[in-house]
This record gives sequence, C-alpha cells and structure tokens, in this order.
Amino acid sequence: MSWDRADRDALCQLAVRLKIGENHLRDLMDWLEEIALRDQSEIHTLLRDKVITEIESDPRFGRADKLKRIKEQVRRVRFPRLAQTEDSIRARIQELKLHPEIKVTVPSGLEGGSLRVEFSASNREQLKNQVAKLAEAADKGSLQEIFALLAGRTTEGVL
Amino acid sequence: MQPFQPEEVIVEPGSESSPIYRNLKAALPQVPFIVMDEVALEHSHVDFSARDFGSAKKKLLLTRHKGEFLKKCPGSDGQVCCNYFVINFASNCSMDCSYCYLQEYLADNAALKVFSNVDDLLKEAEELLSKHRCFFFRIGTGEITDSLALDPYIGFAREVVPFFAEQPNVLLELKTKSDCVDGLLHLDPRERIVVSWSMNPQEVIDLDEHGTASLDKRIQAAHRCQKAGYRLGFHFDPMIEYPGWERDYERMLDQIFATVNWQRISWLSMGVLRGTPGLKRTMRDRFPRSQLLTGEQVLCPDGKLRYFQPLRVEMYRKMLGWIRRGAPTVKVYLCMESKEVWEQVFGFAPSCAKELGGELANFGF
Repeated sequence: MSWDRADRDALCQLAVRLKIGENHLRDLMDWLEEIALRDQSEIHTLLRDKVITEIESDPRFGRADKLKRIKEQVRRVRFPRLAQTEDSIRARIQELKLHPEIKVTVPSGLEGGSLRVEFSASNREQLKNQVAKLAEAADKGSLQEIFALLAGRTTEGVL
Repeated sequence: MQPFQPEEVIVEPGSESSPIYRNLKAALPQVPFIVMDEVALEHSHVDFSARDFGSAKKKLLLTRHKGEFLKKCPGSDGQVCCNYFVINFASNCSMDCSYCYLQEYLADNAALKVFSNVDDLLKEAEELLSKHRCFFFRIGTGEITDSLALDPYIGFAREVVPFFAEQPNVLLELKTKSDCVDGLLHLDPRERIVVSWSMNPQEVIDLDEHGTASLDKRIQAAHRCQKAGYRLGFHFDPMIEYPGWERDYERMLDQIFATVNWQRISWLSMGVLRGTPGLKRTMRDRFPRSQLLTGEQVLCPDGKLRYFQPLRVEMYRKMLGWIRRGAPTVKVYLCMESKEVWEQVFGFAPSCAKELGGELANFGF
C-alpha cells in the first residue's frame, strides 16, 4: 500500500517527536496500514484519535512511556478481539486476589493455551501457605473462566 | 476456472520423447514450443525469478527432474504431523491464490515446471513401495503444485493412476482447487486413489483464489469422481475468518454433504490461514487490498502467523459441529496444529505422527 502525503506527514511527525526507532516504527506502520485497509479509514485520521493525542500530550509520561502506550493503543485497535480476551483474562486474574508473590501470566498472543504460575518462597512455611492459596484459587470460578477463554469458549461473548 | 494458456512452452532437450510432451503438444497446438538447453535458458529473455511471480506462471518449462521425486512431507516444527509423503511431479501452479505459500517457498525458483521423466517417478515409487510392503503409504502430489489443474494439458493422471491403483500398500491423494477430473473418470481407482479438494466458500474464492474453479464446480467434480469409484477428501484449509464466515462455511458444508455420499469420504482436514512474516510481505506487494492481511494473527512458535489460539480453536470447534451434523463419523484432522490445539478441539491429540498417519490410512477404506 502506498501512503499519501497526509498519512506520511502524520506518522513522520509522531516519529520525530517520540524519536521512534526502526523496529517500533515498522510495527506501527504495519498495524496502521492494516487497520486502514480493514476499516476503510485513513492513517492520519487514526493518528488523530483522541486516545492517542491524549497520551501524547499527557505531561505525566516520558517519551518512552508515551511510545509504549501509543503502540499498545494502536495494537488494541489492530487486534480488538485479542486485546479484549487479554483484558478479560487479566480481570479474572485480579479476581483471584492472589498473594503478590504469586504471579499468574498468559503467553503473548495467548498462544499455547496454558497459564504460567510463578511463586517463590524462602522457607517451608511460606511455600505451604502459597500452595494452599493457589489451591484455594484453583477452585474459584474465575480460574475456570480463564481456561475457558484460553480454549476459545466465550463466557461473556468475548469472541 | 480460467483455462491454462501459456505464452510458450520451453522444452529441455531430451524431454521430447516423454508422454507429457506428446500430451502437451496435442492439447496446446497454438502455443509455441521452444527447445532450449539449460545454458541457453540462463542467457535467454525468459525470467523465472520471483521478481514477478505472476509472470512466471505464464510460461511452462518441461524439464527432467534430477533429484528424488518422493519426499516426506516436511510438516511444521512442533506441530502434529500426519506422516504423509509427497511426489513433486511439477513445481508451482497455474492458479494464483493470494495466500499461497509457494510465493515464498518458490521465490528463488518460480518457474512453472512440469517434469517429463514420469518413468523415473514410477520406478522410484515402485522401489519404495515394494521394499516396504508392511508399511502403508499415504502419498500426495499437491504439495508444491495443484494435482489436477494442468491435467487436461499434461495427462499426468492417466500416466500414474493405473500404477498406484495396482499397489497394495498405498493411497495416492490428488489434491486440487480445479474441476479438471475428466482424465480420471475412465480409470479404475481400485480404492487406491483419493481425489480431494481444497474448499472455501465462494466469497473467499472470488476474493483470494484467483483462477480456481468455483465452489459449485468443485463440488460437482467431486460428485463425478465419486460416481466413477474414487474416494474423496476435503481440506478446509485455509479457513478464513471474516464477518459472516460462519454462515458461509456452514452453507458450504451443507452443500457438500447434500451432493456427495459422506460415507465414501476418506478424510476431512481443517487448518486456518497461516504463513510466515515473509509471505505476508509478499502478499502485501502482490495483493495489497486483500483483507487476509487484516486478520487477528499472531506469531506462533513455529514461525508462522495464525489467528490467535482462542479464536481459531473456536473456529475449528464450530466447523467440527457442522461437519458432524452432516457426516457423523467421518475422519477429521487438523493440519499443522499443536497438540494443545488438538486437545482443545477434539479433547485428544494423537500420540505421534505414526498414530495419525495409521488412522488416516485406515479411514481411506
């Protein structure tokens, strides 16, 4: 797809302001092109989206943080159902109310269909506690819903 | 389906005595045939590079195959494999699907080639099959070309089907997106030949399967083959996800099962759209408006982009439900998917390639 001048200028200005490196720029270009193709929209209009302009003008964020957030926002628009599924899983992990030392994550892109559980303990008692908390969490409905989401079964019409 | 009309046929010296040459001459009387050796070919105006993949399909090169014809299907790293063998009797394809992996796989060797030394192919197959009579082979010819699209011109099927039909330990699969089955109908397959179609709804065919037969024609061709005694296969691969895909795929399955006898179907396979990032770049160049580029695909551990797992598992599960409604016990397998995806779709995964290959061989009958 060839970019017209308004699209080129819009991305170029953003790239200069945020000093975007080559790899990030390539990701952004691909995603923006694909969104424009899918939604029959224009790239410069996508870059003028309220969420993006607010991130860019937010004085609380540094340059790297702005780039990270803008990239995440463009990714969310490019992969809306993936982002929604990830959000749903994240919300259910929160509902498990696990001890901060127990970390539950899902693979990037949700590929593999499994949860990763990490925890550490510095003595036997701690370990027993954490295992007990984990066993308690395993009985909760939220965990079942996480596995259902990973297996493409909708619990809230996510997919 | 678009008739094949090459600008010229370039013939390597020594190929003029082959049956394929004779068939081509008879089928394409208006096309110039140029005999040219390898050196002359290299210095000629003929450009077989991938610079213009589409142009490479407009010339046909008839040449001798120098290596082995029979190879084990490479599968994909870490994915469940179905223990399949392939015969490459030709290379590249006269049709032009926008998602075709050959655009990348044959990027450095894009010429549309047909190999003239069918006698060597049969000799090699005879040696392999007779040496391992206790092993049952599933062999396909549609790996780097379409098995039947060129058949009205080259007559390959009538050269090889009688041989494979006589073998006790093989199923030969002819896989196609064409309706070129006339050359098969007078042959006796003797339960050894499976003719299979790669299937997609007409909506996908119109947009991304350029030059192929329509859905109706593929189904009618399958029906004709079934009536002539052939076993059938259908490959729902690549399945494409788009708004309304469910309606179109369900309707397509209903149409298939209303036309053919599912009890004479050897196997069905499912696989979603997939390809490497390199293929995606090629698709962007060649088909920049294709909506296939906009799917929610993520990079998988085998280096291929696929729809993210929960989405594609849901697609497979829905397809399986529609298949089971029309063909309750037909064998269904997944192509190039992990054990985890198998588990999520079917509730089990084959323990090894041998197990899946063995099951598919059994279901051939």
